[in-house]
Amino acid sequence: MLLFSMAYGLLAFRIPLSFMDQGEFFTSRTMPYALAVLGTILSLLILVMPTVDPEGKRTLTEETHGMDWKKAILLVVGMIIYGLVMKWLGFIISSIVFLLCGFYILGERRIKRMLLAAIPLVLLLWVIMSALLDVYIAPGEIFYMLGVL
Amino acid sequence: MWDGMFSGMLTGISTTLIPMNIAMVLFGCFMGSLIGMLPGLGPITAVALMIPVTYGLDPATGMVLLAGVYYGAIFGGSTSSILINAPGEAATVATALDGYPLARQGYPGKALAIAAYASFSGGTISVIMLMVFAPILASVATSFQSADYFALMILGLTAVSAFAGRGGVLKALLMVVLGLMLATVGTDQTSGVQRFTFGSLELLDGIEFLLLAMATFALTEALSIILKRDASSDSLDPKLIGFKSLKVTKKEFKQIGPTIGRSSLLGFFIGVLPGAGATLGSFMAYGMERNLASPEEQKKFGKGSLRGLAAPEAGNNAASSGSFVPLLCLGIPGSGTTAVMLGALIAYGIEPGPRMLTASPEVFWGLIMSMYLGNVFLLILNLPLIPYFARLLAIPRNFMVPMILFFSLMGVYLITFNDFDILMMVIFCIAAMALRLMNFPMAPLLLGFILGGLMEDNLRRALLIYDESLSFMWERPLTLGINLTTLFILLFPLLRSFLARRKSGGDSDDREVAA
Repeated sequence: MLLFSMAYGLLAFRIPLSFMDQGEFFTSRTMPYALAVLGTILSLLILVMPTVDPEGKRTLTEETHGMDWKKAILLVVGMIIYGLVMKWLGFIISSIVFLLCGFYILGERRIKRMLLAAIPLVLLLWVIMSALLDVYIAPGEIFYMLGVL
Repeated sequence: MWDGMFSGMLTGISTTLIPMNIAMVLFGCFMGSLIGMLPGLGPITAVALMIPVTYGLDPATGMVLLAGVYYGAIFGGSTSSILINAPGEAATVATALDGYPLARQGYPGKALAIAAYASFSGGTISVIMLMVFAPILASVATSFQSADYFALMILGLTAVSAFAGRGGVLKALLMVVLGLMLATVGTDQTSGVQRFTFGSLELLDGIEFLLLAMATFALTEALSIILKRDASSDSLDPKLIGFKSLKVTKKEFKQIGPTIGRSSLLGFFIGVLPGAGATLGSFMAYGMERNLASPEEQKKFGKGSLRGLAAPEAGNNAASSGSFVPLLCLGIPGSGTTAVMLGALIAYGIEPGPRMLTASPEVFWGLIMSMYLGNVFLLILNLPLIPYFARLLAIPRNFMVPMILFFSLMGVYLITFNDFDILMMVIFCIAAMALRLMNFPMAPLLLGFILGGLMEDNLRRALLIYDESLSFMWERPLTLGINLTTLFILLFPLLRSFLARRKSGGDSDDREVAA
């Protein structure tokens, strides 16, 4: 957070000033400057001040001991891929694939249950959005490329 | 004043009793209970998840739905606290202290029923008080100037940090600052200058509030279930909770009656304090009830005491209604959940604050009346549904977590239809997860983010009025009063620890003298 506050402060110097701002007391940079200073001071205080916890400050290793990192990272990667392929595969296919992958990552292996949980859920949401709420959900670009649509 | 209140109530009743709005309260309570019941998911997540559904609705209906979700989620959180000792959020932790032992003793139905009756009573008493106090405060607040609003926002942001608990004040304050920093991203509304956009078109309008709310709450909470290998729901057998087990005897009602009355009043006034919210309301109600109990009764606290269960339940529901007072009257959210609701109100184009009472009376009074209706629905409809709701807790996390992730991502994507938003959500989720692991609270960040723009505008205006001098901070008596309150709240944790240290030092001195 200390580094973030300092970087934020440095970037605040690069905010352009409009014609209106020239010579003004309060410009577009004023608030970011104040926040960068506050953020830096607070981060330093957290680092320097002694803890009130009798057991002392817990290290990050102690805090994160025994956590299931593999599954969490795989889910995050899954979300990134979901965001990237959504435009190409379309809402229905990409959502079903994302859910199936999510179930699999978390240890589910019963294919029938996985399909029964994912497909009706996505289709129901699609029907609610497009038929009931009249929201247009564009089909994936792959359908145009394959000449299906 | 009373005429205005009664005509307002009639407006509220006519707004709430539209079939569509009744259906929305019902739907909101139902969905809130379902989401709130899932371990790890609290009212903030429940309200954030439901905001996309409300975008197609008119503002009054949308807010009625969100109020129902809020109440339902608190009720749902109590259910998971009692049945599997997994509080959905901090406000229901005190419920688990006596609720879970009662359930373990073979009375899960009774514990759930007492929680429902206490919540209903707490909600009812506080809604009546909200009807009385909100218009009074709103009429006083019409004389507020930019300087007062700026000071009030500082007060709200400080208070939410000061109540963060032992050792967490600095971290909460830093999160407020981070929220304010994120609020500066985008085009400056006054000068039209781009700030921190890095040339990206997607960032020109700033960061979407719903995106941030979903990323910092829904996504991170779902991921932390996986990270911490939380399998709390695996131990529950839903068949244990039947209709017959929900019965509460007359003697038990007599025992918890005064507790509910006291806790509701206390909870409401605590909820009104900006930043305090339902968590403090529930813990203070629990603490007060334990102090008032006889020494014999005190021994039962923490081991399944009925009074120990009823007090936090009435307290947290009353505080939830109380937290609507600063939101509706001053436009300053009193808790993390009302901060999310403030974001929704702004998205509807409604400016919360003293003028809301005259500019949008149907939203103001409709919301208050729907809160009461929500309470009734929760009691009449949700109580018999408890045995069925409990089955939800038995859904394996293998299925539950990907579904929560899916709904969170979809909630944002189906509004903007922008893939960039999904990627930005993931980036915020990773950052929020890292901060949570280091015990940084997320609610102050959201509060800072929502109030950031308003705060900058009011500061700019106040400086313009006072010839670029910060003297408004002490020259206006009202602003000075608010600033002194902020200072007191900020110094309160220091004062408390100083007094505690002095007391413990005095005790050890006494012991040395005695030795």
